[in-house]
Amino acid sequence: MGEILRVEKLSKFFDTPSGSLHAVENVSFSIEQGKTLGVVGESGCGKSTLGRTVLKLIEPTGGKIFFQGKDITNISKKENRALRKDMQIIFQDPFSSLNPRLNVADLIADPLKTFKEHNKKEIEEIVFEMMDLVGLSRRYAYSYPHELDGGRRQRIGIARALALDPKFIVCDEPVSSLDVSIQAQILNLLQDLQEQKRLTYIFVTHDLSVVKHISDDILVMYVGAMVEKCPSKELFAHPLHPYTKGLLSAIPIPNIHHEKVKVKLQGELSSPIEPPDECRFVKRCPYATDICRCKMPDYEEVLPNHFVSCHNCKNINNL
Amino acid sequence: MSLLEIKNLTVEYVLRKSVVHAVNNISLNVDAGKTLGLVGETGAGKTTTALSIMGLLPHPPAKVQSGEILFEGQDLLKMKEHDLENIRGNKISMIFQDPMTALNPVLTVGEQIAETFHLHGNYSRAEAEKESLKMLEMVGIRPERSTEYPHQFSGGMKQRVVIAMALACKPQLLIADEPTTALDVTIQAQVLELMNDLKVTFNTAMLLITHDLGIVAETCDDVAIIYAGQLVEYGSIEQIFDNPLHPYTIGLFGSIPSLDEDVERLKPIPGLMPDPANLPVGCKFCTRCSRAVKQCEEAEPEYLEVEPGHFVRCNRIGGTDNG
Repeated sequence: MGEILRVEKLSKFFDTPSGSLHAVENVSFSIEQGKTLGVVGESGCGKSTLGRTVLKLIEPTGGKIFFQGKDITNISKKENRALRKDMQIIFQDPFSSLNPRLNVADLIADPLKTFKEHNKKEIEEIVFEMMDLVGLSRRYAYSYPHELDGGRRQRIGIARALALDPKFIVCDEPVSSLDVSIQAQILNLLQDLQEQKRLTYIFVTHDLSVVKHISDDILVMYVGAMVEKCPSKELFAHPLHPYTKGLLSAIPIPNIHHEKVKVKLQGELSSPIEPPDECRFVKRCPYATDICRCKMPDYEEVLPNHFVSCHNCKNINNL
Repeated sequence: MSLLEIKNLTVEYVLRKSVVHAVNNISLNVDAGKTLGLVGETGAGKTTTALSIMGLLPHPPAKVQSGEILFEGQDLLKMKEHDLENIRGNKISMIFQDPMTALNPVLTVGEQIAETFHLHGNYSRAEAEKESLKMLEMVGIRPERSTEYPHQFSGGMKQRVVIAMALACKPQLLIADEPTTALDVTIQAQVLELMNDLKVTFNTAMLLITHDLGIVAETCDDVAIIYAGQLVEYGSIEQIFDNPLHPYTIGLFGSIPSLDEDVERLKPIPGLMPDPANLPVGCKFCTRCSRAVKQCEEAEPEYLEVEPGHFVRCNRIGGTDNG
C-alpha cells in the first residue's frame, strides 16, 4: 500500500502579544493508505493544530505537506477547496460543531450541496446511505442536534465527514466528550468504516488507551515538538523517550493486580511562547544534561522504524 | 459505625412537566481512612448524591424524597442550615470537578484559603494567612505564589489550590467529584498521589466520584457502581474487579481499551442510558442488557448480598440462576 500523506518539517507559529507561540515545530511523518497514525500529547502540545495544519484549515508557517504525492502546501484556494473532498475532519465536540438550526438530514447534506455535484434526489439517497452507515436510525433524519445525545451527535459528525467519500480523515478527539460505553461504540464504528472504505486516519487524542487500541503508528508530541514516533505496540512495549515513559506510567490501569514501575514526572509543561533553543522537556527530565539545555535534539531513527528526539536516548536505554 | 452512612436516599428533580428520578434508594457507607469510589456515566446521579451530602442541592427543583444521611450518627438532612455550615468545609469538604470555575477570580489564592481558616477556626487574620501558606506548601505550591490570582495558575495548580482549600480544616470526610477529569494524565498522577498521601496523613475518609475505572483501581478500597440513579453493584475493590457480576459492570470493563492486552474489537454496551424522567418499570438496565429475560422488564430486581459485602441488583444473579 502506498503512502498517502507525507509531512516534512511542518511548523506553525502563532503571533501573540507576548511573542511567537510555537504550536507545531519541525514535525515530519508519513502515513500509508488504510493506516491510522495516532497523535498523543497533553493539552497545549499542538496536536490539534497539527491535525488542522495538515488539512490546511490553518496555513503552515514552514515545511511541506504532500498528499497523494502532490505538494499541497501552497496551492490556490480553488485547489484547496477541491481537496476537501478527499480530506475531512471529525471534530471533538459534537455539541458545538453542528449548526443547531439544521436538522440531521440537512447537516449531512451540507457538504454535498457545497460541491453541487448531485441533484436533490441523489443527495437524499446519499444522506440515508450515510445514516445507515454510521448507525443512525432513519427516523432521526428530521430531528435537530439538541434532541440527540452526544453519541448520536458524534455519529452525525462522522456522517458529514464521510458524505463526500474522502480518503483521509483527521479525527480530532472524536470520543473524548463521550461516556465510556458510548466511546466504545464510536471506536468500533470508526474501525469498521476504515476497513470498509480503506480510510486513512490521523487520530488526535490525549487518551493513551484509546490511541493504542486504534493506531498502527503513534506520534508523541510535547510542547509543539515531536518526541517519539514508532509502531503502536513498540511504543507501549519499549518507550525510549523519558517523557513517553512518564506519560505511559501515569495512566491509571483498571486492573488491581497490575504492578508497574512508576516513572514520576514532576512539574508542568513549559511555555510554547518564544521557547529557547533547548530540549522542550528539559525542565521535567530526570536525565537532563548540559547539552539538553543548549540545543534542541534532532529527530533520529534510534531503532528500525523507531524515531526519538533525545540527546541522551542511547545512554538512558543502554542501546 | 461508619463515619458516613447514607440510608435509602431518594432525590428527585421536580420540573414543571416531569419528575426526574436522579437518585433512587441509595445506601452507602464510608469508613474513616477509607476511600469509596462512586462510578457511573453522565447523568447516573453521582453528583446529585455528593451534593445532597453537602446540603448543596439546588432547591427547587431538587427534593430529597426520603432517606437519611448520617454523619457521625447525626442526620445531615434534618440539620438546620446554621449547624450544617459548621460541618461543611470543616468536617466535610468537597473538591469540585472544574478548578477553573470553583475559585473566585477576584481574590488571591492565599485569601481564598485563609477564608476557610477564618470561618471555621479561631484564627486571626494574620494566623489564617500563615496557615494558608502552610497548606499551599503541602500541596506543592511555592508559598510566595499566595498573592497571585487564579488566572495566573495552570489547571493542575488550580486543582491543587482547590485541594488545599478542601483540606484546610483537616476534614474527616472529603468528597471529590471527578477531581482530575479536567487535568492531563501526568498532572492527574501528581494530584492522585497527593490525595493518597493526605489520606494516609490525616486518616481522611474519601468519597471519590469518577467514571474512570483506572483511577478507582489505584485509589479506592470499595466501589459502588451507579446506573440510572440506582446502585447496581457494590463491594470491595477486589470483589468488583476480580468478580464483577452485574452485566453493566462487566460491560463497563469491556468498553475500556486495554493497555495490557491486545483486543481487536471493544465490546460496548449497546444503546443508551434511559431518560431519568421516564425510567423503565423493571430493571433499569434491561433495555441494554444482553442477558435480559421477560422477568427483567416486569419486575425490579432485588438488591442482594451475594457474598459478604458484595451487593448486586440483577434478576439473573443469586438464587438458583447463578451464572
